[in-house]
Amino acid sequence: MNAPESLFRRPAAPTSESQLARIVRSNEEIKSIVATAFKINLMALNAIFLAKRAGTAALGFGVLSNELRRFAQDLTQQMASLREMTAESVTAVSNLMQQRRLDRILELAVLACEGREIPGLELVMARAEGAMTGKFQRLRQFDKVLHRALEATGQLVELGGVLARSAKIEAAYGGQYSSSLMQVSTDFADVIDQIKRSLEKLTRERLIKEGS
Amino acid sequence: MKQCRTIFQDGDHRWLAIVRDPNRAGHVIDTNEYLIESGGDSLLCDPGGIEIFPAVFSALCAETDPNRVKAIFASHQDPDIISSLALWLDFNPGLKCYTSWLWSSFLPHFGGTAETFASLPDEGGSIPVGDLDLEAVPAHYLHSSGNFHLYDRGAKILFSGDVGAALLPPEQDDLFVKDFDQHIQYAAGFHRRWMGSNEAKRRWCERVAVMNIDMLCPQHGAIYQGEDVARFIDWFDQLTVGIL
Ligand SMILES: [Fe+2]
Ligand SMILES: [Fe+2]
Repeated sequence: MNAPESLFRRPAAPTSESQLARIVRSNEEIKSIVATAFKINLMALNAIFLAKRAGTAALGFGVLSNELRRFAQDLTQQMASLREMTAESVTAVSNLMQQRRLDRILELAVLACEGREIPGLELVMARAEGAMTGKFQRLRQFDKVLHRALEATGQLVELGGVLARSAKIEAAYGGQYSSSLMQVSTDFADVIDQIKRSLEKLTRERLIKEGS
Repeated sequence: MKQCRTIFQDGDHRWLAIVRDPNRAGHVIDTNEYLIESGGDSLLCDPGGIEIFPAVFSALCAETDPNRVKAIFASHQDPDIISSLALWLDFNPGLKCYTSWLWSSFLPHFGGTAETFASLPDEGGSIPVGDLDLEAVPAHYLHSSGNFHLYDRGAKILFSGDVGAALLPPEQDDLFVKDFDQHIQYAAGFHRRWMGSNEAKRRWCERVAVMNIDMLCPQHGAIYQGEDVARFIDWFDQLTVGIL
């Protein structure tokens, strides 16, 4: 069933309060990824200069640094669109919260009538249930879109990890610059791991719990 | 989505203005919300109507963590000020809502429990936020009969609710007043019709004229800054209000 919390048949559904809280947590995580992407961009710039200084011994390292820089820019862009999506999901959740509030008030009104017949009540309830279903479906849709976007970002970050590992290998051929190149590539690997962890957290924050 | 702009910052003491929603439905009046942050806590001034809650909430999220919002200041009882209260409380049930004693038993019609409301006496009082003590400045009958503005002595900013409000044409969306004489025509009709008492207006002008104010931030329209603050107070003092 797609609207578990419809009028008068509302099981213990996840509260909208925790849905908003989940969006906030996601948003904070996105912010931290954006900050890290900015850091990678700067690190890559430094790495490019370092590779230039190292000359022919670090040609491969230079190419990888360029790729890492592009990776940071792509990541920033994906985060911007994720952020837009979370803003839209706030609207979807707020609509659901409003609908629940209206439902609750309507429910109390009906209870207050103590079983007396209320002309037109069926229509009102059907309308309320329809509204709830619609709003719930919209949120579910959103959850899917958000999740797909996160999967795409996951793949991008995977690629970033590969780049960082390759940079480590290239660093070994860096001649006298080898140890400083190694340090830089280890830093790359560390921050990309950090992003991976943030992304895992993000993926766990679903707008709608499985099975609901 | 609305934009969230920093209008004052000194360390962790900060004012954010949440303004101009390009997606707002035309039949809903545009509002400004202000967030005052200090020491990790924050207070939201006139959080706005229920319809614009998503726009305000997500703009705020983009700039800060909404879990820090510990209090709401409701300058008065209008729906464009505080009808979103229930949704803010859904997110943070422990929120305190500061408002005039006149309205503290009316606002629960928008949501909240007995613990939610902190009544301000007519003469005003101070509201703690982080390391700050904000001052609730009486502005009764302008336009509401129980009405407060909020002054931040450190930032020299006065949040002035509906006073200073201007109903600007959509293409005029600057955050600050650029040309006072051009701007004030959009404020005139609003003040004449919404403000009810010349005597109350006089008292307010006298009270704020001696305060140290760098920015006067209304709930609708652009912010007055620098010399335009005194210019506005003089203009308002001269205006005859409360007539149809
Ligand atoms: Fe008002
Ligand atoms: Fe207003």
